[in-house]
Amino acid sequence: MFSEVSAPREGSCSLLLCHPGSEDQEPSVFDRVKLANSPCSESFKLGERSFNRQYAHIYATRLMQMSPLLTERAQQKWGADVQIRKLCDLQMGEQCCIVGTLFKHMELQPSILKEISEEHNLLPQPPRTKYISESDELILEDELQRIKLEGNIDVDKFVTGSVIAIYGAEKNDGKFTVDDFCTADLPPQTPRTTLSSDRFVLLLSGLGLGGSHADSMLALQLLVDMVTGHLGDQGEQSGASTISRVLLAGNLLSQSTQDKDASTKAKYLTKKTQAGTVDAMRLLDEMLMQLVSSVPVDVMPGQYDPTNYTLPQQPLHHCMFPLSSTYPTLQLASNPHQATLDGVRILGTSGQNVKDIQKYSSMDSHLEILENTLRLRHLAPTAPDTLGCYPFYLKDPFILEECPHVYFSGNAPSYQAKRITGAEGQEVLLVAIPEFSSTQTACLVNLRTLECEPIRFSSFSADDDEESEMNISH
Amino acid sequence: MDDLYLDNIDEFVNDQNKIVTYKWLSLTLGVHVNLAKQMLYHYLDQKRKEGSARLHATYLVSGKFVENGTTSHKVSVVREDQLEDAKSKMSLTVSVHVYSVQKAVLKDSGPLYSADYDAVKENLRNCSRYSAIRCADAVPRSSAEVLQACETTQAPPPETEQIKANHSNLASKPTSKQPKGIMGMFANKNVSKNQDSSKEIKLEQKDDAPVVETSKTKPAAKTNPVSNFFGKQAAKKPDKSIKEEVEIARTSSSVVEKPSSPPPKAETPVKEELAKDAVVEKDIRSKTKRLEHSDSEEEKSESRRMKRRRIKKPEPDSSDDEVIPDSPPRLQEKRDPSPIPEIQVKKEPVAVSHSDELSDCKRRKRRRVLKSCTFVDDEGCIVTEKGYESESYSETEDDFKVSKPTPKNPNPPKPSTGKKEEEKKKKAAAASNKSTKQASITGFFQKK
Repeated sequence: MFSEVSAPREGSCSLLLCHPGSEDQEPSVFDRVKLANSPCSESFKLGERSFNRQYAHIYATRLMQMSPLLTERAQQKWGADVQIRKLCDLQMGEQCCIVGTLFKHMELQPSILKEISEEHNLLPQPPRTKYISESDELILEDELQRIKLEGNIDVDKFVTGSVIAIYGAEKNDGKFTVDDFCTADLPPQTPRTTLSSDRFVLLLSGLGLGGSHADSMLALQLLVDMVTGHLGDQGEQSGASTISRVLLAGNLLSQSTQDKDASTKAKYLTKKTQAGTVDAMRLLDEMLMQLVSSVPVDVMPGQYDPTNYTLPQQPLHHCMFPLSSTYPTLQLASNPHQATLDGVRILGTSGQNVKDIQKYSSMDSHLEILENTLRLRHLAPTAPDTLGCYPFYLKDPFILEECPHVYFSGNAPSYQAKRITGAEGQEVLLVAIPEFSSTQTACLVNLRTLECEPIRFSSFSADDDEESEMNISH
Repeated sequence: MDDLYLDNIDEFVNDQNKIVTYKWLSLTLGVHVNLAKQMLYHYLDQKRKEGSARLHATYLVSGKFVENGTTSHKVSVVREDQLEDAKSKMSLTVSVHVYSVQKAVLKDSGPLYSADYDAVKENLRNCSRYSAIRCADAVPRSSAEVLQACETTQAPPPETEQIKANHSNLASKPTSKQPKGIMGMFANKNVSKNQDSSKEIKLEQKDDAPVVETSKTKPAAKTNPVSNFFGKQAAKKPDKSIKEEVEIARTSSSVVEKPSSPPPKAETPVKEELAKDAVVEKDIRSKTKRLEHSDSEEEKSESRRMKRRRIKKPEPDSSDDEVIPDSPPRLQEKRDPSPIPEIQVKKEPVAVSHSDELSDCKRRKRRRVLKSCTFVDDEGCIVTEKGYESESYSETEDDFKVSKPTPKNPNPPKPSTGKKEEEKKKKAAAASNKSTKQASITGFFQKK
């Protein structure tokens, strides 16, 4: 763990709680550990974008890419002689296996058509945390037809857009009774090279700069100081030099910078006011400047950052970082982002995919949803249904082709990490990175052991005083 | 050296009532952070021993913290009275050191952040100089490298835009000359292509692209007798497009050999323009790091060029054979002197006073003027169209500045531009003779 790495070598008292030594004692300077880095998120970078296409194509390619994988899995699970049928060839009562895309019909799902339809006279639905209800139905669609599913399948756990294989039979009433199902499960993984020494990657998200309450600014400064080697004892500084990369996973700006007051307020009130994002980006640039002068940083955009809304979010433009973009250590990455650091594959998003699945299923834990997407072998199954997405047509880039070693999602409400093992021996570390602005916690991943440790920054405030006083009085 | 810092810290804490954090101290005194921490401790210790301690300190404690079964690494800033408490809570204490020293009791740690903020902001460039970690990769790139990196990312989009424009406009008649947006300019470019029946413009980001184009357009312009009358017009368009190519291609100084063409007026303006383009580009780039050309920039320089061309128009053919095709002229009042000086002024690449140019540029204004443009379309018919164009003008005459910058014009790399420079200077001189906005008939008889 990081603490052990940074622990003081000698058991003596802290070197820094003493008078400055004689002049020939050189202040120690450590070298930042370097990593062989190869970014490979080219598939998430969009070149020329055309929105003239319909979204049906993305489902078509998704099914086309995933059906061979699923038929293979189905044969592994239910025997090589299991019948795999297309929906149009279904026979009544025959036990067979069908492969297709799930569609969950939800009554409460916001539908723009319903909202603007005159015959319904509906008021716009207020946003809810969950849109699931008892009456949801699952429907399986393949290239030509669709069929309702019932039976041994938990409707709440699935979301629209997942491609699965179902084993069961069609009954008289035209519905398909499910006996069992299987997902594409983890993709193959190239084994990682074992490292000789501890190397850490700091995962951070949800900085929330430009927000109305600046509670976490000191904590953020402490983090920057620690990573750049200002803070702490010599042991801690040498430990910090093993942090070879920092990855910012989205929501660098706070949600409050997004308010569109300017459009609703009168022009004379808002004429000279700047958008909140301007100041916030300047703060971000200054913070990044301190970081990039000492450690390579990957910056991923998030839900509230000034980039496009649809997934895959393109990297933030370098002109917004006039100070820090002069350093080659600054890498502006897309969301989702994948990179290979010293043979360890890291893949993750800023959390929009997980939050969306959370809204449309009964799962609440970000880590559970993360594992789910990994087992479905798809980063964002709800795109483009409820999550904005670019209309791909040649290829669905969100399908996981190779299993990552570290799979993360940002902006979780709290820190969670888990290690899972796949059927073919794949080892994946799942990390749900907490939001820094509310938890002041970041994650340190040890690339050698594939373990993750939270690192918490705290300061004191007037409230602590009152609390302790109250305790004493009791 | 030894105890001087103690006095310094004393001054900061007591006299200036500052919150002296280790980071602030290290940046102010220019020492390694660990040394600063030790200094603070020393100061605190000494003052406490002296007994004049009305000082308070905050400490940084970090270590392993076990909470609900999960271990985490905790880094916290605590007040002195909370120090022992915090240390006891940690299962393994990694580091403890003085974080700050101040006179007043701090109830809240908020001021600690603001105490450092200014110092850090001022020292952003070398914020890692006094830290304990060096990163070999973190060397800021020179501006040239940065530009290069930007260019490579920039190159694809403009290319695709042009290709689109070309495909869509190839067969279309030249419509109104509204330079609205990039499409408008591409439309003009295509018009010129149609006119001159040149091949499709190669969208290579190379210097020879403009060369190829101009050489093609020139002979075409030459041959068309009708276009001679509207020589400026015919030449102006390819010229404009060349300029666009140049700008978009981001060639530094594209020296384009221009074969002679009938419209004599075209020559020098275009040359000047092209050379100016390079400078304008550099100027634009250096001033604003915008790598996307805004349309207004192109329009401005285009219309400026147009105006300069108009002044050149009356000039009889210069001796040189270089021909710069003209774009269609604007039948408007001559605002010649003002654009020329501005363009000339803007041409100064590096050395010369930029402030002058900046102020000149700033005094320029743009306005929309209804102009009618006459040009020859691809069927050989003369077409006149009215349209609003934004045009730049300035209230003051900048003639006097013209002569100043021009002599200082540095030599562009290629020799042929040397001639252009001379001509530019001549033209500038000529222009400066007329200090009125309105062109007079005597302009035709000016020295080249």
